Amino acid sequence: MTDKFYDIVVVGAGIVGAALARELSAYDLKIAVIDRAADIPSGASRANSAMIHAGYDDKPGTLKAALCARGNSLYRELAGPLDITLQNRGSYVCGFDDRDLKHLEILLDQGRSNGVPGLEIIGGDELRSAEPNVSPGIKYALRAPTGCIVNNFEAVLAFMDNAQQNGAELFLETELKGLALSEDGGEVAGAITSRGLFRTRCVVNAAGVDSDLVARMAGDESFSISPTRGEYYIFDKNYGRLVHSFFFPCPTEKGKGITVAPTAENNLLVGPTSEVQESRTDTSTTRRGLDDVAEGARSLVPSITPAMAITTFSGLRASADTGDFVIGPLDSPRGFVNVAGIKSPGFTSAPSIARRVVEMMKDALSDRLTFAPNVSFVPERRHIPRFESLPAEEKARLAAEDPRYAQIVCRCETVTEAQIVEAIRRGARTVAAVKIWTRAGAGRCQGGFCGPRVVAILARELGIPPEEVTRHGGHSRLLVGRTKDYWFKGAGR
Amino acid sequence: MSDIHVDVAVVGAGPAGVAAGIGAREAGAGRVLVIERDWDLGGILQQCIHPGFGLHTFKEELTGPEYMHRWIERAREAGVEFMTNSMVFGAHPDGSLDVMNPDRGVFRVTSGATVLAMGCRERPLGAINIPGSRPAGIYTAGTAQRFVNMEGYMPGDRAVILGSGDIGLIMARRMIWEGAKVEAVFEIMPWAGGLRRNIAQCLDDYGIPFYLNHSVVRVHGHDRLEGVTVVELDSDRRPVPGSERFVPCDTMLLAVGLIPENELSRMAGAEIHPVTGGPILNELYQTTRPSIFAAGNVVIVYDLADWVSQEGVAAGRNAALYAAGALPEPARRLAIRGGKNVRLFSPHYVTGGADATVYFRVTRPIEKRCRVFADHGLYERRERYARPGEMNEVRLAREALAALPDDVTEIVVDAEEV
Repeated sequence: MTDKFYDIVVVGAGIVGAALARELSAYDLKIAVIDRAADIPSGASRANSAMIHAGYDDKPGTLKAALCARGNSLYRELAGPLDITLQNRGSYVCGFDDRDLKHLEILLDQGRSNGVPGLEIIGGDELRSAEPNVSPGIKYALRAPTGCIVNNFEAVLAFMDNAQQNGAELFLETELKGLALSEDGGEVAGAITSRGLFRTRCVVNAAGVDSDLVARMAGDESFSISPTRGEYYIFDKNYGRLVHSFFFPCPTEKGKGITVAPTAENNLLVGPTSEVQESRTDTSTTRRGLDDVAEGARSLVPSITPAMAITTFSGLRASADTGDFVIGPLDSPRGFVNVAGIKSPGFTSAPSIARRVVEMMKDALSDRLTFAPNVSFVPERRHIPRFESLPAEEKARLAAEDPRYAQIVCRCETVTEAQIVEAIRRGARTVAAVKIWTRAGAGRCQGGFCGPRVVAILARELGIPPEEVTRHGGHSRLLVGRTKDYWFKGAGR
Repeated sequence: MSDIHVDVAVVGAGPAGVAAGIGAREAGAGRVLVIERDWDLGGILQQCIHPGFGLHTFKEELTGPEYMHRWIERAREAGVEFMTNSMVFGAHPDGSLDVMNPDRGVFRVTSGATVLAMGCRERPLGAINIPGSRPAGIYTAGTAQRFVNMEGYMPGDRAVILGSGDIGLIMARRMIWEGAKVEAVFEIMPWAGGLRRNIAQCLDDYGIPFYLNHSVVRVHGHDRLEGVTVVELDSDRRPVPGSERFVPCDTMLLAVGLIPENELSRMAGAEIHPVTGGPILNELYQTTRPSIFAAGNVVIVYDLADWVSQEGVAAGRNAALYAAGALPEPARRLAIRGGKNVRLFSPHYVTGGADATVYFRVTRPIEKRCRVFADHGLYERRERYARPGEMNEVRLAREALAALPDDVTEIVVDAEEV
């Protein structure tokens, strides 16, 4: 691939990289997206609160304020054509006393100047008549009717899938090692990766928690990232209906606080904590973090207990020391564009960030890139059929068309073999990727029953032995060898 | 796509479901259909290739597949129909089922009565709330058992086992047999979760260290598991300061509990008991939906497959009687209540119209002579001990129940020292 040339190399296939690749794919440009992970989304886009915020949280005048509410309305426009699961449940920020009420009033004002529609402050009793399971201690709540829950995996896959349909190429397990510059150092000439050189005129830094390190490669030291850990619980589907909307405490300087939210699949998601840490890779959960999450969640919905959990996870958010998104092309080297420091409300803002960045690139890089329309651009894509949620007649129709739709692999989430085969056709290479695409293994048994079958299907479809199937790429092999190997090869293999 | 009507439909062809099919046919049901989601019959016993099954039923020691083979043969002789590789994805209050398989697509099975026999599933890592990373190499013991015994693959070379449920103990030995190293079994409670005989035969015989009052408090490794941090717990289940240690391993098998699998029961509107996690039954194995019956680990997790089969036969028989309109109307409703040493039990009430067996597990071991009893003088038996890993049963005779005064509304079952 060293002799291939791309107009643009996007570093990072999170929500920002994916949304940008899709936006760019509307033009006649040769686009590569690289990501070091074996399955996407892998970073903060994978492990977050799965919310599309209304947009009242950020101070007017910031990029966040300008882009969040716009992002919210873009998701509503795009959810249909891109087949993203988006549910307009509405959100509440909860206040427990009169000091909190003042806080809510500030948010209300901010939201109004950010152009957020429909905001209002209601009393605790009115809230509880709609949401009987929330704490009796809540006295006030800021209602934001445009808050949505989203399947964040699907959203990233949808943007990337559509970008690929329109000609963008995705390279997984491909890590950026450095930039190749012109002789005078003033221009981007290529992206040096673990898979060789990608010659290009433009490198976009959408590298999330590592975006400051990528910026350093271009000599940009204007910002740095503090990896900020957020830990979460996911609860069984039996509890997803405890609340209909999603709930925040009053925000603090650390963030939006520990939220309680149903997911699009009717699990219940609670979290995150917010702890700055050194490591840019360690996404372990911690005892203290999980305890804090449970306690925070209980203050909003008292009946929540960790016993309802099916799994826990944590993600690292890319908090920039500038306090805002870092967006735009550098003057030197020309062709290097930052889309960095994208933390909350980054997921929400991604579609509007993508549009903003394309406008900036058109203005600043017209000597390097020609933005002619991609005449074969198709703005829609379909997700793999979500078999479980289809009506019975539709299930029957699919099963009649392809018997693999009548072959259930994941019992908990009713995922069929046909869906898994299609996920692999669209690029899934790992057990985790199959889960992200189809939800096989995302249910209450967490892959206990379907794990062996998913491994077998991956091995069959990829033409590799089961021992080479990995959980999430790298050295994450699930099986170490055949039984009875010991007798022939000795212990330790 | 045509629908199927049967006299008795059974969901699941493990020990409970196969036996329910037999019970239904033997009680005179015409068409009895057992629907199984796996490719083969036998349920989880297919992968239980160790001996120890059937001591009560067949008076000999069989492997899981041998044990099921006998029951399946008996079912075929009795005229039970089986449909494998068929997923029941919906259940309705009248007992009708939405089913699909690659041959017929999506279809409905209606019946005169339905027996739920879906069994249970294992508690996963997330449900036991251990912090740390999420590398490859962590499996429930049953998943590892499937890989090793059915697929022929080894999940790892150096294992720790968390929890001392029976499958974990069996898998500790199995891993040793395949040349893996088993560092230890860690049990959070002060007593073993599994049967005493499995501790002896699977751990002691192979020198595998067994630590009670120990828990894994952190998982390490990014791609593949690299080790776990374990800690000793004091009598209040708090970590003992300074007792933390790192145990290197590439595999952790979880044997931390089984959960009755009742998604279909819920869909059908059968009431689920919050403690057992299974449907609330009377002694006729009838759920709160009168045409829907349930038996086996879907109701309450049993210790021995023999009991599961025995309950299955009885549930199938009653389902057949119900389908024929011959199940007696309940005479009265006597609630069963667990005494102070009882953790969980089933059934939750009896009608007084039939002999009844109440199964229960104790909260903590009673390592002394004890009596297992039902009050009102209904039943009493002496035992040398009562342990949480083993099921106790209390038998209530129909005549004795009928002789209870009218003002009795509750029967307490318990085990206590004597």
